[in-house]
Amino acid sequence: MAALTTGGRPGKDAMDTIWTMLRDNATFLLNGVLTTIGLTVLGFTGALVLGTLVAIFRVSPVTPLRVLGTVYVEFFRNVPLLTLLILIVFGLPDIGLLLPLFWCGVLGLVLAGSAFVCETVRSGINTIGVGQSEAARALGMSFTTQLRLIILPQAFRTMVQPLVNNFIGILIGSSLAAAVGVSDITNVTQQLNIRYAEAVVLFLIAGAVYLVFALGAGGVGAWLERLVTRSRIGGTR
Amino acid sequence: MYTFSRRGLLYVAAGSSAAAALAACSSGTPPVGGGSPGASGSSAGGSKQMSQADYDTIIKAGPVADAATVSASPWATKIKSQGFIKRGGTTTSAIFSLKDPVTGRIAGFDAGIGDLLAHYITGGTDVAKLTQVSQTSVDTRETMLQNNTVDIVVATYSITTARAQKVAFAGPYYSSGDSIQVKKDNTTIKSVSDLQGKKLVTESNSTAITALQKFVPGNTPTLFADNDSCVAAVQQGRADAYVLDEAILLGNAVKNPDLKVVGTPFTTDPYGVGVNKDDPTAKAFVNAFLQRIFDSGDWLKLWKATVGLYVDAVPTPPKIGSVPGS
Amino acid sequence: MAADTATRVLFDEPGPRGRATIRLATVVALVLVALLVAGAVRQFAVSGQLAPYRWQFFTYTAIVQRLVVDGIGNTFLATAVAAVFAFPLGLVLALGRISHARMLRSVSTGWIEFFRSMPMILVVYAFLLALPRFGIVLPVFWMLVVPMILVSSATTAEVFRAGIRAIDRGQWEAAQSLGMGRALVMTQIVLPQAFRIVLPNLLTGLVSLLKDSTLGYVVSYGELMQQGKELVAYYHYMIQTYLVIALVYVLINWLLTRLASWLQARMGTRRTAARPIEVDLEPAQ
Repeated sequence: MAALTTGGRPGKDAMDTIWTMLRDNATFLLNGVLTTIGLTVLGFTGALVLGTLVAIFRVSPVTPLRVLGTVYVEFFRNVPLLTLLILIVFGLPDIGLLLPLFWCGVLGLVLAGSAFVCETVRSGINTIGVGQSEAARALGMSFTTQLRLIILPQAFRTMVQPLVNNFIGILIGSSLAAAVGVSDITNVTQQLNIRYAEAVVLFLIAGAVYLVFALGAGGVGAWLERLVTRSRIGGTR
Repeated sequence: MYTFSRRGLLYVAAGSSAAAALAACSSGTPPVGGGSPGASGSSAGGSKQMSQADYDTIIKAGPVADAATVSASPWATKIKSQGFIKRGGTTTSAIFSLKDPVTGRIAGFDAGIGDLLAHYITGGTDVAKLTQVSQTSVDTRETMLQNNTVDIVVATYSITTARAQKVAFAGPYYSSGDSIQVKKDNTTIKSVSDLQGKKLVTESNSTAITALQKFVPGNTPTLFADNDSCVAAVQQGRADAYVLDEAILLGNAVKNPDLKVVGTPFTTDPYGVGVNKDDPTAKAFVNAFLQRIFDSGDWLKLWKATVGLYVDAVPTPPKIGSVPGS
Repeated sequence: MAADTATRVLFDEPGPRGRATIRLATVVALVLVALLVAGAVRQFAVSGQLAPYRWQFFTYTAIVQRLVVDGIGNTFLATAVAAVFAFPLGLVLALGRISHARMLRSVSTGWIEFFRSMPMILVVYAFLLALPRFGIVLPVFWMLVVPMILVSSATTAEVFRAGIRAIDRGQWEAAQSLGMGRALVMTQIVLPQAFRIVLPNLLTGLVSLLKDSTLGYVVSYGELMQQGKELVAYYHYMIQTYLVIALVYVLINWLLTRLASWLQARMGTRRTAARPIEVDLEPAQ
């Protein structure tokens, strides 16, 4: 607790305090990192599935589904994530649905993320010329074959970068779960800061976690994009 | 800087009519179930509601320093010439400093100490104009005093020796402590020793975090931004117990019949009035003021109108300077 | 909506049997949607959340004024001030990132990459929790707005960069062959066009800023979320308050995104070359 008075000034004692803090709370910090990974990965996976489903709704010839998809996207794309999380954490139990805090965070990220993923998928399919599917249908391809061989591979190529952005959006958004009590890395560093008053070190740690994951996602995205470009010859336009 | 009292003025006119409507509504349709009666402070409300009118009467009846006393302190002279006190505090602390959304007025025990002090220095009788509240947090209080962003901090501000190295503490003006709130049907938690291994919540901006660290080592409490989130967490079963200042918890128990407070406070939090260290007359001046309202009974009147609505044991004023750091 | 390319890509023009299937699916979907909505409303009603006294305070003039004048007013103020600083800063960073001066390029790139990966709440915590220990306490307004500026400058920079890159290289070559310098080409030829291209994306950036301003809830700046917090602290009706606030945000942001798509559509008809730009947010290689 000596750190309370020394603040963030460097010095041997301060370094020792920081070291002790990190050692004593290694599991706590690690859990925070794992929680952030869990929120992001589950949130993104869920958003991918739900977002694709909503995208199908939005382009389907069935009007009520299209309206439902549009209302869904407009709501969840425009509602601030923090407001949504507060409603999920404190609102859902009052209508009889009590989820653990972690899953509240995942749900919020899936709902908000899927609205953005939906738009990514939709504009991805939109980039494909109508002629492509007309040609496929003329060749007698079934709907699923057409989707599998013609539409999705081409759509996916233009979707890689926007999807990486969706992923980073969900990663960054996961930090808001800290404001509703989920012990992700942001929340853990905030708690440790209250106890140890080592703000600078703690914020550097949390910042590094997000930076590494975001840059990593960007790298994977670039690699994926090269992969899909190489595997298929021929432009989309 | 966000100033409340100036804005509050805009609403006094609109607020009074709306408050009247609110009073009519709350008497017409009594709230049912676990919901709490959200009666306005300025409405008639129930007997357990803080009344803005009573509050204003108490402030206006408070003592006023004579010119010589004020001019003896450069700190007080500055406040007198600016006409109001800049208080660091909050707008969302039930019982201690809570803003009425209809009138924009901030009232409570801490708010009252600030308003009484402002009234003491300036002699102003328009209670709404006596203080301007700036939002402070656990992390910003000392610096805001050091930078003279605020004149005083009255915000359930516990006197500690570590803090006293940076700012001066007048008081203590109240001694409180952290207690435990559980659901009414909970029989397993009776005191702080039962908290180990339980799911705990507290406010992210409170000293209860350090208290829990000390009394329930190894337990990581869930932190929520405000009192209502913590209350909801206990009611909804996300947490077994909620630890915070006893008065606030007792207030919660009155408003939420499904909650209770167990045991007696397991910490002693002597609340002080934080002032800048540079002018030593500031601390002495506020101490003299506190002694004056202790002796005159204004302190007790304020307590009865605020904390006393929820706490039964009538306190005696603490001894000024009785705590290390004060 | 029905004219969406995707609809035509995925689904053939329906024949008589197709139309019958669509009609059936429509009826089934309608029933399912109605059931979903009814179920949600019923859950609310059963748990007593629809009781009129829990909503009544929204009808008080003073509360509406507080939410609209104070809440939305401060939300707009924070968003506008942040945009006024962040957008020009974003342009400067974008120019820095494509400049030929290596120093400038690496500083801009570093700034953009850093703040694009930083959650806004972490930056807010840095201003709320870390800086005060070094004697720096910003007024609450700036504690919210400075992080908004920092984070938004990075994303806006990428929007501008994408806009600049969308200008055909031929324009550069033509202008330079006329003897125009790099700076002149940029300011006279490229930027005016780029501005028009990125305008809808800037509006989307405004929506992000507006959503980021909800962190006023964390620093206690009196924007809409903080007003909600104060209402909850006084009346204790959490769901009701945040539900209304969520709808207000959705409405405001929806209007802004509508404006953005309208601008985009309008530009699309006027400029043959203008296709909706996919903002390239790929990290620097």
